[in-house]
Amino acid sequence: MTELGRILMVEDDPNDVELTLTALAEYNLANEVVVTRDGAEALDYLFCRGNFATRTSENPAVLLLDLKLPKVDGLQVLRQVKSDEKLRVIPVVVLTSSREERDMVASYRLGVNAYVVKPVDFHEFVNAIKELGIFWAVINQPPPGSVRKKGLT
Amino acid sequence: MTGMAKPDASSQGWTAVVLKYGLAVVSVALALALALVAQSQALQKVEFPLLMMAVAVTVWYAGLGPGIVAVALSGVGFNYFFTQPLYTLYIEPVDRPVFVVFLLFGLVIASFGARRRRIERELLQAREELQAEVAERTQQASLLDLTHDTIFVRGMDDVITYWNRGAEELYGWTARDAIGQHAHQLLQTVFPKPMEAIHGELLAAGRWEGELDKRKADGTPVAVASRWSLRRDEQQQPLAILETNNDVTERKRREEDIRQLNEDLEKRTSELQATNKELEAFAYSISHDLRAPLRHVAGYTELLHKNTAAQLDDRSRRYMTLILEAAKRMGTLIDDLLAFSRIGRAETRKTTVSLDALVKEALHETRPETEGRQVAWTVGALPDVYGDRSMLKLALVNLISNAVKFTRTRPKAEIEIGHADGKDEETVVFIRDNGVGFDMRYADKLFGVFQRLHQAEAFEGTGIGLATVQRIIHRHGGRVWADGIVEGGATFYFSVPKSWWEPRS
Repeated sequence: MTELGRILMVEDDPNDVELTLTALAEYNLANEVVVTRDGAEALDYLFCRGNFATRTSENPAVLLLDLKLPKVDGLQVLRQVKSDEKLRVIPVVVLTSSREERDMVASYRLGVNAYVVKPVDFHEFVNAIKELGIFWAVINQPPPGSVRKKGLT
Repeated sequence: MTGMAKPDASSQGWTAVVLKYGLAVVSVALALALALVAQSQALQKVEFPLLMMAVAVTVWYAGLGPGIVAVALSGVGFNYFFTQPLYTLYIEPVDRPVFVVFLLFGLVIASFGARRRRIERELLQAREELQAEVAERTQQASLLDLTHDTIFVRGMDDVITYWNRGAEELYGWTARDAIGQHAHQLLQTVFPKPMEAIHGELLAAGRWEGELDKRKADGTPVAVASRWSLRRDEQQQPLAILETNNDVTERKRREEDIRQLNEDLEKRTSELQATNKELEAFAYSISHDLRAPLRHVAGYTELLHKNTAAQLDDRSRRYMTLILEAAKRMGTLIDDLLAFSRIGRAETRKTTVSLDALVKEALHETRPETEGRQVAWTVGALPDVYGDRSMLKLALVNLISNAVKFTRTRPKAEIEIGHADGKDEETVVFIRDNGVGFDMRYADKLFGVFQRLHQAEAFEGTGIGLATVQRIIHRHGGRVWADGIVEGGATFYFSVPKSWWEPRS
């Protein structure tokens, strides 16, 4: 029995959502995944407003963030998270298609905790997601005030 | 000896003096002789006018000094020969006033003669000076005509009074046409500011400079750099304006051309920048949007394979494998293409780079490719070059891994890296292998994007490696080329200009 941290995934592409959830499910990490489909929704969730006004206020254990998002893009989400007193402690993993150096530089400047380029090969993709999920949701000790629940290994 | 060479001037001077005073003595002696002869012929009282004549002649021809001598001699002679007692120099008191009058009269004649001589001399001198000045002026005027600069003089009423040959050449009006004409009307001058302002400046400073537009006799417009100088008379009243013009039409045209070229260049630069931005956005979009569907194709195919593998026949399973391989290959292509485009866009950061160290690193990076193979490496000493370290390393990695790849069919691969004797101004590096080589007929295709000279089954690759090498070397201002023989190995060369060398301090 291990504690499993809640994962907040920000991803606009339904296929990517499905493939990521499938990969996480393979390792029983999918139970506590919240999916938001654009930057604005992700911020609503994080700041407990709009549709998420009534949720319990704990932070997710990790934020998986795509960069190219409708409405508010990933870098803006990252900037707001890292400049908020309460949210800045959330580990943020950028999970993106882009290998662009300037995105990488911008993300690290804003204080991202990890930057992962989604591999085209599905096995590599599953492996990457699995390792991310296990590391951030299981192994990593998230900051106090994050949601953890008992999960299966 | 020196007395012989020198004497002319002084001896002539002396001769002249002797002649002058000699004239005094001779003319007085002659007058006395004539008077004595006349006296013997019983002609009375002619000695006085004769002696005065001798004085006058002496003064006239020999000047004041000899004149006074003549007066003195006449006095003595007169006293000796013609006043009582005769043949003595004693003068009786009765005769003294006559003698004094005689002397005074002689002196008056002498001084008149002298003054006349002086006036004559001054007149002569003034005439000579005048002639000299006329000659000089004439010479100056013709000198002004010699210059190609345009020079003309106009009065304060702007009527032209002088017009040199340069002006004739520039404007096409002859001096005869121009003199007497109103300068600004004749040349249709366009002033950059009101005439009053220019004249104010001219009167205050005595000069004015500016660019003016004028017209030639045939109507052709001409731009001139114009300089005006004011001439004043003795009362400081403005008298005339000397205007010098230089034709700057050609210079102005060139300036305009340069300005136009700069403008075009700026426009083109901004167009290029816009294109570059677009390309960047395009590459960014490819990087994001093209890879996602590819991932999905691969992902879902994989899931399909996993869920249905048991029910599928061999052929269907093979199709799935092919789909996966195709997707993976496309992924690699996109990645390579993006890397290639990044090299074109990235800033180069140049430093002094040790090629020795760079080759070592590149060999280390390509080691996995040589696993299980026999490769004989020959690496010569390489110089330092000035360039972008990471780009040059990528070029070396690509070339080395190329050599490794195309020697795969050899039982023992031989790869040599060294630097060749190039032209003085560049460092030439080569990578030689004993691999499958290539047909020189297709050498121009080697460095093209997606160009491949071998079957995809024989040697894997996207056909972007050498294109990347070329782009990197071109960005350094160098060249790439290759030698090869089918089944006889290949040598790839690249050069980096030495002018970019910076000696290590």
